[in-house]
Amino acid sequence: MREFRAICAALGALMLAAAAFAEAETGDGGARGRQLFALCTQCHGVDGGGRREYQAPAIAGLPQWYVSGQLEMFRSGLRGQHFDDAEGMRMRPMSLALASDADLQAVSAHTASLPLVPQASTLPGNAAVGSAYYGPCIGCHGLQGEGREPLFAPPLVGQSDWYLLSAMQKYKAGARGYGLRGGDHPPALAQRAALAQGMAGFSQVLASEQAILDVIAYILSLEPSAGGGE
Amino acid sequence: MIEYWLQAASTYAGDIDFVIELVAVIVGFWFFLTVGIFFWLIFAHRVSRSPRAEYLTGDEEQPKKFITWAHMLVLVCDVFIVWAAVQVWYEVKQELPLENGGQPQVVRVISQQWAWSFVHPGADGVLDTADDIRSVDELHIEVNRLYHYELSSKDVLHSFSVPVFRLKQDAIPGRVIRGWFEATQTGSYDIQCAEICGIGHALMPARIVIETPEQHAAWLAGHSPTQLAAR
Repeated sequence: MREFRAICAALGALMLAAAAFAEAETGDGGARGRQLFALCTQCHGVDGGGRREYQAPAIAGLPQWYVSGQLEMFRSGLRGQHFDDAEGMRMRPMSLALASDADLQAVSAHTASLPLVPQASTLPGNAAVGSAYYGPCIGCHGLQGEGREPLFAPPLVGQSDWYLLSAMQKYKAGARGYGLRGGDHPPALAQRAALAQGMAGFSQVLASEQAILDVIAYILSLEPSAGGGE
Repeated sequence: MIEYWLQAASTYAGDIDFVIELVAVIVGFWFFLTVGIFFWLIFAHRVSRSPRAEYLTGDEEQPKKFITWAHMLVLVCDVFIVWAAVQVWYEVKQELPLENGGQPQVVRVISQQWAWSFVHPGADGVLDTADDIRSVDELHIEVNRLYHYELSSKDVLHSFSVPVFRLKQDAIPGRVIRGWFEATQTGSYDIQCAEICGIGHALMPARIVIETPEQHAAWLAGHSPTQLAAR
């Protein structure tokens, strides 16, 4: 009987220690974040560096506020629910697989904790010409493309060029940043949708495909900063 | 009977339910008869009442007659099942009926991992014109009106399934598959993918919204790109 009590006490202590450990881990999403991230790796790669064959961008090292915000946008249909956004439509069900806000935050935190994965240049573009086109981007994305949380503008540095091109094409075509479309959403989400709609407007500044390629070449020439985003 | 558990909302849903019920009744009859005989034999020939088991070689006709007659009756039942199934298959899958006095409405159904998108003809009733309405995860149709659909896939195999229509049609990349349906009651119902299509397969639902002619006209007017642009 004494041995039984000792075993029970040891098991109880072990469970308490495990719970405390899990609690302490929440900075990087903890075990739950790692577990949920396994779903992301199917398309975004094991290191979160993105996979072009799936048109899945690099997500490793993106700020938590941006990842969680985009997941909320996908979940609510403010992104990934446009006829011309096949990749977004693929992502939206994945966001719906996150059962709770806690899960959404955990996987976002884990994604943010991953190191940036270097992206190779794959598109032609003139960075010198693109530096002039980058002017209007500075207000939201920052001088070094580091991103700004208050404007919900993500870091651009560290992202692959093919994804930046695809995103710009979608903004220009209205497949991203299509606004609320009459839906009723919480103010925070509505604000993000409005900012995305603003980005769709800014994308029209780049009139030609070559201008987009040039500005992307300039973004790729910028040095990534640690942390990403303000 | 199936309608008791799952609503039927298309002109051919009842026919398909009939085939399923016919199969269930015939197979059910033989199943319970076989199991009943099996247990009766176990009971009737239990060790305490029976002599030593006898091995039948099949050379004599008399012991085989119970098996032969049963097989013949099963074959007769099969004829009924095949007759009913082929008739419904022909009506639903082989025939592409035309609407009385004109062409039916055509909608485009596009499947992809893991979403459905649709192209509806606008007020002109013709696809590939400026007033086409494109939507994601929501198909709007009119009740009591014949529709043809053009089903395609952007990537892998999917299956366009509308349970209340009893409709299930595979979508095959590179092919446009045509079919038809005619809704018999208004409401909003599930569209599902019925073919495993990747990790997000279970998260690929959409809705079919069946509207009265007035409701549908109002929806068309409210979503027509040409009318929206004119505002």
